Amino acid sequence: MLAVRTNVPFRDWVIARIEEMLERIVDGLLEESDQLTVTLKSRSNATRRTNPSQDLERPPSPKSKDITFPGGTVQEAWRFTVVVRVLELVHGCLVDNTVMTKRDMYYRHPDLFVKQSVVDRYVDDLACTLGVSRASLNVTAAAKGLVAGNFRIQKSDGALGILVPSISDDDILDLSCVCRVVIIEKEATFRTILQSPHWKIRSSRCILVTAKGYPDIATRHFLRYITDRSPQIPFFALVDFDPDGIAIMSTYKYGSFRLAHENVTAGGAPALNLPELNWLGVQSRQIVRSLVTKHDSYDSAITDAQGLMRLTPRDRKKARCMLEWDLCAEDGPEPAWRQSLQTMLMLNVKAEMQFFEQLPGGLSAWVEEELSVKEREK
Amino acid sequence: MSKQYLTLHTLDNAHPSDIYSIASTKTQLLSASGSSSILIHSTTESDFSLVQTLAGAHKLGIHHLVTSKEGNRAASAGFEGALKIWSVGEDGMWKEDGEISDGKKPGDAWAIALSANGEYLASSSISGCTNVWSLNVAEGMPKIKDYETKGSFGLAVALSPDGGYTASGHENGSVYIFNNDTGRLSHSVAGLVQPIRTVAFSPGSKLLAAAGDARVIALYDVKSGEQVANLTGHGGWILSLDWSDTGEYLLSGSHDSKAKVWRVETRTCVATHSHGDKPVWSAKWLPRVGARSEMFALAGGNNNISFYREAAG
Repeated sequence: MLAVRTNVPFRDWVIARIEEMLERIVDGLLEESDQLTVTLKSRSNATRRTNPSQDLERPPSPKSKDITFPGGTVQEAWRFTVVVRVLELVHGCLVDNTVMTKRDMYYRHPDLFVKQSVVDRYVDDLACTLGVSRASLNVTAAAKGLVAGNFRIQKSDGALGILVPSISDDDILDLSCVCRVVIIEKEATFRTILQSPHWKIRSSRCILVTAKGYPDIATRHFLRYITDRSPQIPFFALVDFDPDGIAIMSTYKYGSFRLAHENVTAGGAPALNLPELNWLGVQSRQIVRSLVTKHDSYDSAITDAQGLMRLTPRDRKKARCMLEWDLCAEDGPEPAWRQSLQTMLMLNVKAEMQFFEQLPGGLSAWVEEELSVKEREK
Repeated sequence: MSKQYLTLHTLDNAHPSDIYSIASTKTQLLSASGSSSILIHSTTESDFSLVQTLAGAHKLGIHHLVTSKEGNRAASAGFEGALKIWSVGEDGMWKEDGEISDGKKPGDAWAIALSANGEYLASSSISGCTNVWSLNVAEGMPKIKDYETKGSFGLAVALSPDGGYTASGHENGSVYIFNNDTGRLSHSVAGLVQPIRTVAFSPGSKLLAAAGDARVIALYDVKSGEQVANLTGHGGWILSLDWSDTGEYLLSGSHDSKAKVWRVETRTCVATHSHGDKPVWSAKWLPRVGARSEMFALAGGNNNISFYREAAG
């Protein structure tokens, strides 16, 4: 997964601001201050009540409030604890560049948060305080994944992809026409494929899913539901050739350590993982093959090949950290991931799936061809 | 005039994953890969048998491996950031001398080179600096030179056989030649604006070859810094360069699985070999021994090491 380039420094900025807030608390503790304070701005009490001096076109100004510990009441102490915990959770999401729904956040500490609306309020207050959208905190409301294909669900249906439906055990999901599920990292690619001529042929047998980066629990739950009921349907992942791409794929396949508690059922089996997930691409051999077809021109090089980029220092650090994962160990279960991370480091190169748009027929034709190759391998 | 090289032997699946670096001595070939171990094969036996395994040398895999020209020393660089120094005994067995401790920026080191006598190690770095260490174990292997550049990732480094120069190649296309006696930059050449992935001094230390994503091998005069030739013909990024003992031939390996032998005097390609369909990460001449024909070894993404011998006559 590649953040839009202009957003990378922005996320760092948000992280730094949250760390400032947390550091002020830590400094207060170290200095043995009489009182610890977090200042939040909030619009949560804003109403549409008419105010003659208010410009009706502008949203109401946020009100500033201090949340202190120890406060005057038990309620204030609780509120302070909630705020600090929300800060920690949001900070964790941003640093790992994972996305958490507010619901996920609530279920981390339901006893502390008491009800969903408490989380909702303080996440929104934090966004308001920093002057950013909630999405910039890597917090979303419920499912964010999209799905399309020839399956029937007794609740709803859609055209250019619908939000991943929540599935309960009582729902009926008709998968009789489905031959494969393809998980795509990026929404843009998801939409490109839906609009391509190949999809018109493929759509009758294929389910296409995107979680728009790191998967949310609702999307993983939906996919797990499919494989539990139809284990013969193969799953393929299409992610960028970069450390985040492999990390996204590992979340689908093995789960997220940060949300590990969500994976366990009463029987102890991992409830959301897709252990049979196949890596469709992007892999280094695919890049090598495509680069060779650009043989004719000496002017072409890394900076000219669309979708091919240098690793950032963060990428290099992440790649090295991932090489330490048990999954990527020398005798671990994912030697191809280990080899790919090493190759990225060797070349200092990463590639977006858009790299294949340059080929005849574009990315959609390439996906088609790779799926055919994969299916011939079986 | 073309030359013919025959495949003499192939070590199939010598390593379990991509072989990123090979290095030769008069009697052995050392190889390193995405696995944690360094393998040593005999080059004096017809089956190139495995004679030693340095197990678990670098847990996360090894990206660079070099030997000194005299063959007494080796150095390895791992993906975890460590640089290790090795010595060979009279029995042909290698043992670890220790690790380079670069307290400032662990993990910043990238490409490495050993001096001919094995007494110095040069390293390029992700931050762009080029460092040189003394490998005197009794003195704790101290750093003796720190060449600053403009901060572009140092993808390649070389030490001249006469000890006089250090060269580095960078991601922004820069090539620097440093004078080790004065401790200063001799030349900064910027003929190409694409990553330079490999640099190599000729045996007489008069020429420097540099190559990378531009798919051209540039030859520079070390004394004047002038570019004296361009060798073209590769279809992929050039990842590896090595001069033959006499300096008559240059061997190059590329990302598109091809290796080429160039005759330096005529600036022509005299042989091309395909090493499977994966990148050739490393191409090395084997030192001339006795009456043996000119030989080189190739290693890369197909996990094999192949040895080629010049056809007689």
